[in-house]
Amino acid sequence: MRRALALLRRRVLGVVPVFALVVLGAFLLLEAAPGDAVDAYLAGIGGGDAAQVASLRAEWGLDGGPLPRLIAYVSALLRLDLGWSSAFQRPVLEVVLERLPNTLLLMGMATLLALSLGSLLGIVCGARPGSLRDRALSLTAIAIYAMPGFWLGLVLIVAFSVELRWLPSGGIETVASGLSGLDRATDIARHLVLPVLSLGLVYMALYLRLMRDGMAELWSQDFVRAARARGMTGTRLALRHVARNALLPVVTMLGLQSAAMLGGSVVIESVFAIPGLGRLASEAVSRRDTPLLLGVVLLSAVVVMLVNMLVDLAYALLDPRVGSGTGGSGAGG
Amino acid sequence: MNVLRRMLATGEGLAGLAMLSVLVAVALAAPLLAPGDPLAIRGDPLLRPFQEIAHPLGTDRLGRDVLSALIHGARTSLLVAVSAAAAALFIGITVGTIAGFLGGWVDEVLMRVAEAFQTVPAFLLTLALISVTGPRATTIVLGIAIGAWMQPARITRAEILSLRERDFVAAARVVGMRPLEIAFREVLPNALTPVVSLAAVIVAAAVLIEAALSFLGFGDPNRVTWGSMIAEGRTVLRRAPWLSIIPGIGLVLTVLAVHLTGRGIGHALRARRVVA
Amino acid sequence: MRAPFPCHPLARRSLLAGAAALSLPRAASATLPKRGGRLTVAADSEPPNLNPAIIASNGVFFVASKVIEPLAEAAFGGRDGLAPRLATGWEAAADGRSITFTLRQGVTWHDDRPFTSADVAFSAMEVWKKLQNLGRAVFRDLEAVETPDAHTAVFRFAVPTPAQMIRNALPVVTSVLPKHLYEGTDIMRNPANQKLVGTGPFRFAERRPGEYTRLVRNPTYWEAGRPHLDEIIYRVLPDRAAAGNALEAEEIQLAAFSAVPLADLDRIGKVPGIKVISTGYEGLTYQLVVEINHRRKELSDVRVRRALAHAIDRDFVVRTIFRGYAATSQGPVPKNDRVFHAQDVTGYGFNPARANALLDEAGYPRAADGVRFRLRLLPAPFFNETRQFGDYLRQALAAVGIDATIVSNDTPAHLRAVYTDRAFDITVASPVYRGDPAISTTILFQSGLPAGVPFANQYGYENAEVDALIRQAAGTIDDAERVRLYRAFQKQVTDDVALINVAEFSFITVARDNLAGVSNNPRWAVSNWADLDFI
Repeated sequence: MRRALALLRRRVLGVVPVFALVVLGAFLLLEAAPGDAVDAYLAGIGGGDAAQVASLRAEWGLDGGPLPRLIAYVSALLRLDLGWSSAFQRPVLEVVLERLPNTLLLMGMATLLALSLGSLLGIVCGARPGSLRDRALSLTAIAIYAMPGFWLGLVLIVAFSVELRWLPSGGIETVASGLSGLDRATDIARHLVLPVLSLGLVYMALYLRLMRDGMAELWSQDFVRAARARGMTGTRLALRHVARNALLPVVTMLGLQSAAMLGGSVVIESVFAIPGLGRLASEAVSRRDTPLLLGVVLLSAVVVMLVNMLVDLAYALLDPRVGSGTGGSGAGG
Repeated sequence: MNVLRRMLATGEGLAGLAMLSVLVAVALAAPLLAPGDPLAIRGDPLLRPFQEIAHPLGTDRLGRDVLSALIHGARTSLLVAVSAAAAALFIGITVGTIAGFLGGWVDEVLMRVAEAFQTVPAFLLTLALISVTGPRATTIVLGIAIGAWMQPARITRAEILSLRERDFVAAARVVGMRPLEIAFREVLPNALTPVVSLAAVIVAAAVLIEAALSFLGFGDPNRVTWGSMIAEGRTVLRRAPWLSIIPGIGLVLTVLAVHLTGRGIGHALRARRVVA
Repeated sequence: MRAPFPCHPLARRSLLAGAAALSLPRAASATLPKRGGRLTVAADSEPPNLNPAIIASNGVFFVASKVIEPLAEAAFGGRDGLAPRLATGWEAAADGRSITFTLRQGVTWHDDRPFTSADVAFSAMEVWKKLQNLGRAVFRDLEAVETPDAHTAVFRFAVPTPAQMIRNALPVVTSVLPKHLYEGTDIMRNPANQKLVGTGPFRFAERRPGEYTRLVRNPTYWEAGRPHLDEIIYRVLPDRAAAGNALEAEEIQLAAFSAVPLADLDRIGKVPGIKVISTGYEGLTYQLVVEINHRRKELSDVRVRRALAHAIDRDFVVRTIFRGYAATSQGPVPKNDRVFHAQDVTGYGFNPARANALLDEAGYPRAADGVRFRLRLLPAPFFNETRQFGDYLRQALAAVGIDATIVSNDTPAHLRAVYTDRAFDITVASPVYRGDPAISTTILFQSGLPAGVPFANQYGYENAEVDALIRQAAGTIDDAERVRLYRAFQKQVTDDVALINVAEFSFITVARDNLAGVSNNPRWAVSNWADLDFI
């Protein structure tokens, strides 16, 4: 446990400069965008006169050169002030935090699906590398991996919600349903089935591949041969020795994929009309609301860093070999 | 060409390369196969596929030929994806080489920057760049590249680090070559192999990112892309599902071809290394 | 957050529907004092500011008109084509200098304060005249609103103002706000712009951004027995394919404003339980228009502009892009306004040969690559149809040797590029005709407007005769003379091809069969829905 805490502390310290760079990047993009926060604010409330513009600029610290503006931006961030969203006429932080839970739910479920189904099928393939079963499953997985998630989503909508009427076609829950407790959870789950499939299936192939390749390699290693010599056979050997060891890189992949999943949710949330961070990002682009977009970017960066930290921690707890010496290969995503 | 032969020996590599060759040929010959503007209105709107010989894959909402849009879309998709991958590899290899060879604080800073880029989802990075500069083909290429250069940079750096202390590097130092000259002229060529097998992964990802961008409406409106075809077909998904399904199949086949080819190359290169 | 429900609306509704079908004819059932549960409607956007007194646009009215009422609403028939709402009568003085409104008695705001003439006076002077996009023009000469008693408001104008124009504008520009919530505050930033408080049949309940807006029945509405519905939910469905799917799956019961794509109507109209309705938008005619930047050298030549007009196949546009749900157009006043529409405007039929000849004559021959000159084309992103017409226009112009490059923008960027920066050559626009040319039509032709006024002549079009006609008509109070002047105006601007009118379109409503009271007035989608009910 102490080891884990030490690791955690080191990871937190390591994250600080990285996050500072992300903030700097966000600031540069904000500078490059046409118009500043005052323009955006005034456009939203229907314009203002020159004196009002000047006083707002001074008030928000936007009247100086780039350096004072950077200082103003960073100090606002430290106060958790992410700026004003012109598209929503509300503070950015409020808007993004409101959407975060839906995205985390979608991402979490999709990761769970990709991980469990991928590992399972990976074990099936890796138990007998090169077999017909292995080749057929691997090829199917790579074909799914080649599908654009949004296209898969459209096809699933046509099949399951429009033709078969089994599942709702969009949204996160039945609007203003008045449901609570278990009923509400069931309702949300029904709405999530198709988006989670569209997002998760695509990434499933990755875990399948990793698990399968890892197992294929492990079969030829000494400790496996030894176990086999001891008379261990078939499924038991595959599961107890080979699969277990092949799982570690899969865990690392979890951290690596969290950023990609967040990116993928932009399109999936748009297809399924889920009010999450991803759809917010594409709304921010189409309504040219740069502060809002950067709010989404910063929050996603925080999410990715946290996920990676958790993954590192899990890794340290699972694998006694991870000492306090190495930084961990999942660093930063 | 041992590598090529070994690659073709794997079923995957052969299939991938065959598909990819057809796609590239179609993309290159697009002006011959489907002359004229693919956005031109040529017939009745919403014709079904396989109904009229003049429009074998049917027509869209405005009566534009789906087949010629598909052919020209292949051109756009591949062009954007290959340029983006080339740009990503260029940035990645340059940064990786400098970081790996110079080491010290330069390495530290560059790798932190790479880590920062990896912390932000690539698709969001691309969106951010496009929202600031507007949807132009060059911006889209650059946007995809800045979301994809980090992995080649890391791999190049790792390779360079393992080669840095080899004899031929020391020899170059003795001859009096400057450090960066050594890095790019002596070390880099030896480090390239594993980076190149990454190219396929990046091209495949770039095809999908470009499609997703066009699908969301952030592509160049004067060009046909598969993503924009799917987006446009989406409003008539029930009435004319082929408008979304046909370009989708195009995307799946392209990405699949690139992946299979990449894996074929990977196998072949690994085999060569083992032999050497 | 959870909606309190007296009982399950669906269960009760189907019981009632069954009973009605068994025993009562439609007309009789409408008189029963029953209330009909929850209506879920497709909404494609969520305006951040919902205040219809400030932003008089259909996107805002779609939600806000159920909560905040105007003085009068448009009606099929009725005096002046109007149905009284907060005003029960209006009388214009013969000199055109004043209009007296008699206000409804016994009306209360949703926070139970009484509605009086002070609310009307405040709204008119502080909001409509100063802040509202359309009111700034309509009430430009409004000097004062006198309130001799709590239920009379007298509007006094500095110059003679045509009562016809004010009457035609009433449904759009006179949403009344509660003075007690707005007086002395920063009106633009008042929280009541989001959480609306009005006198209408529905009260604002809650909004979940990205998900829905919920309105609930106003139990103290002034019209006895109305409204019938318990709730209206506007479910956000930004994707147009989604509305049709949701209707078929009975997740929603109504999709107005062509939320179901036109190309899908043939199919969805055949689905049992769903009806397609093309009426109820007579007062909301949109015009598909090509705006022209007259500052551009080639386009300053009327022959070139005429060539552009001849290059467009209006029948193709109506048939293919609008799937027949539109009419071709040649002038700035649509055909369905039988009072003002001029039939003798200069028309430009589809004639590419004529277009080519005109361009040759103007001195722009085709170069070796077949191109005469190049233009930037900015299709407005407002509707699928404006974008698609942009794609079509590019092809139509290519056929006469003009190479147009499409520049696509989101709404704010489009507005800035066209109406502030004037950085365009031609555009595709969709201005709204609001029942009187003076409200939002003449502004498209009148010269000398400052940059930054949207949906106005930022095109560099200048014709002294047109300006004179517009000025003269604005001060004419005789109805027949106004009509004559506006007809002369239409003739002149079409002769000049100030801009190109291509088509007139309105919208389609798709609803479940059991919804009664749909499309029963000319601005139905943006009216109060007090009489809407399930049968």
